[in-house]
Formats: sequence, structure tokens, C-alpha cells
Amino acid sequence: MTMPERDEIEEMFAMARAAPRPAPSTALMARVLADALAHQPRPAGADASVAGRARGGWLSALAAAFGGAGALAGVGGAALAGVLIGIVQPAPVTRLADAVLGVQVASVQLMPTADSLVAGE
Amino acid sequence: MPRDDVSQAPDAALLALYAAGEPAAARELTARLVPRALGYAARLLADRAEAEDVVQEAMLRLWRAAPGWRAGEAQVSTWLYRVVTNLATDRLRARGRRGPVGTADAPEVADGAAGAEAGLIEADRMAALDAALAALPERQRQAVVLRHLEGLANPEIAVVMDIGIEAVESLTARGKRALAAALAGQRGALGYGEGA
Repeated sequence: MTMPERDEIEEMFAMARAAPRPAPSTALMARVLADALAHQPRPAGADASVAGRARGGWLSALAAAFGGAGALAGVGGAALAGVLIGIVQPAPVTRLADAVLGVQVASVQLMPTADSLVAGE
Repeated sequence: MPRDDVSQAPDAALLALYAAGEPAAARELTARLVPRALGYAARLLADRAEAEDVVQEAMLRLWRAAPGWRAGEAQVSTWLYRVVTNLATDRLRARGRRGPVGTADAPEVADGAAGAEAGLIEADRMAALDAALAALPERQRQAVVLRHLEGLANPEIAVVMDIGIEAVESLTARGKRALAAALAGQRGALGYGEGA
């Protein structure tokens, strides 16, 4: 008898079923997962938020960070006022320093006065 | 979604979660399905690189099918076996019916003396089985692998192969007979026969 017995073939099948499957390579798993994420539908809520960001650009993102466009306008105005005060050192600033700090603050004329900025001299 | 919930969910539920945008479902389906599909594709093609390409393509088709997947219409695993079978068939035909490239590269069965240890005999038997499977006609190989190695029931194999159940029974029976004939000359080397 040279043919394998029926049980012998079954035994080989059982052995093959029990053997661990060949482990997929890390590269294959990464490729499959990358395909999955690339083709995965976006949840409806995520779509709206992404589209909103894309339409508004960096300015709307900045406004959102400061609490809205109105707040951003206020922040911008305050920043501009600070710059002007620093440049022209109007008299009320030195008088305020005298009253609050009790020290004499010398006002040095490095830049034109507010009047000259306004008058365009 | 908690990791435990994902790992215990059925394939179809995971696919629905994937279609709803849940990334954890993509990871779990990949981890669950790829090893199974790769084992099957490797047996059909006897070529690891080609098997990996087939599996990536089959999984890509699954991701694309996910949004339109109708629960209860088909089992995800059955659908995947079917796609892998079709892709592997295309590859084999593209080889110009030269047969699996790995057939000639299959490990030689060691002689009786070298196979004395149980572990070596087991490895020899698996190598001999792989070589004999690779030599089977394409449809017989598919049917035998699905039935006896992947453990599918005949009705499921019929769906995968798109044939009737009787045709499945006929293919598996003829495949087993052909395997027995192919392995007949190696019984002694494989530790079977008198004194084994």
C-alpha cells in the first residue's frame, strides 16, 4: 500500500489548520490601514467643522481663539492705542505716573508729538 | 468607542462603524481580516509577495464597499474570500497557466533519516502538503483549501466560488484524491507506512 490513507490526509489537514497563520508583514498591515483611513467616510459633524475652518482661513481661526470677530476688533484697537501711547508719550501719561507712583518721570522727546502725527507735520 | 467593544463586535458591525467614521473599527478589521486573507491567498498563489498584493487590493475593495454595505446580505469574511479567490484567479491566469511560481521552490521533502525528529517530520509534511496543493488544478485547490484548511462549510464555499453545493462536493472529493496520489510516493519520507 503506497497511497496515503484517508486518515493520513485528514491528519495533514488538521496539522495545517492548527499551525499558526503566517504573520503579515508590518509593511502590509500599514499599507492596508493607510488605505482604510484614506477611504474612510468622515462623520457629518467633522465635515462641517473642517469645511468651516477651510472657508474662514487663518483670520477666522484667530477670531475664534479670541472669542469672536467683535472681540478680535477690540483687541486690535487696544494694541494700536498702546503703540501710539508708547510713541508719543502724551502729557497725561507722565501726570498719571506722578500721581500714582509719586516719582518724577522724565518725558523724552524721541518722536514727534501726537499733535504732529495728527496734523501730519 | 472602548477597545473591548470593538474587539468583540462582529465583522459586519465593525464595517458599519468604519463607514460611520470610527478609526478604531478600521484597525480592528485590518488586524482581524488580513492574516486570514493572507493565509488563504498564499496557499492559492504559493507566492508571498503576490499574496500580499492581492490582500491589499481585496481590503481596498472592502473599504470602498463599506458605505453601501447592507447588513445581512453577505458575511464580510465570505465576501472577502470571494474577492481574494477572484483576484488570485486573475493572477494565476496572467501567469499564462505556468502554475504557481512557488511550486518549484517548495522545500524538498527530507529523506527518512533527516526527518527522524517529530518537528522535522511535521515541517516536511506541511511542505509536502503545500507542494501537492500547489500542483492541483486551480478550482480543486480553491475548494480543498476553503473546506479543509480554512474550515468553511460547503454552502459558504459555494457562495465564495459562485457554484452549486454539489459542484463543491465534487471538487473537494477530486482534490483529495489528487492530493493522495501526489503524496503517494512520499509516505516513507513523511513518516507514514510500515513502522511509522
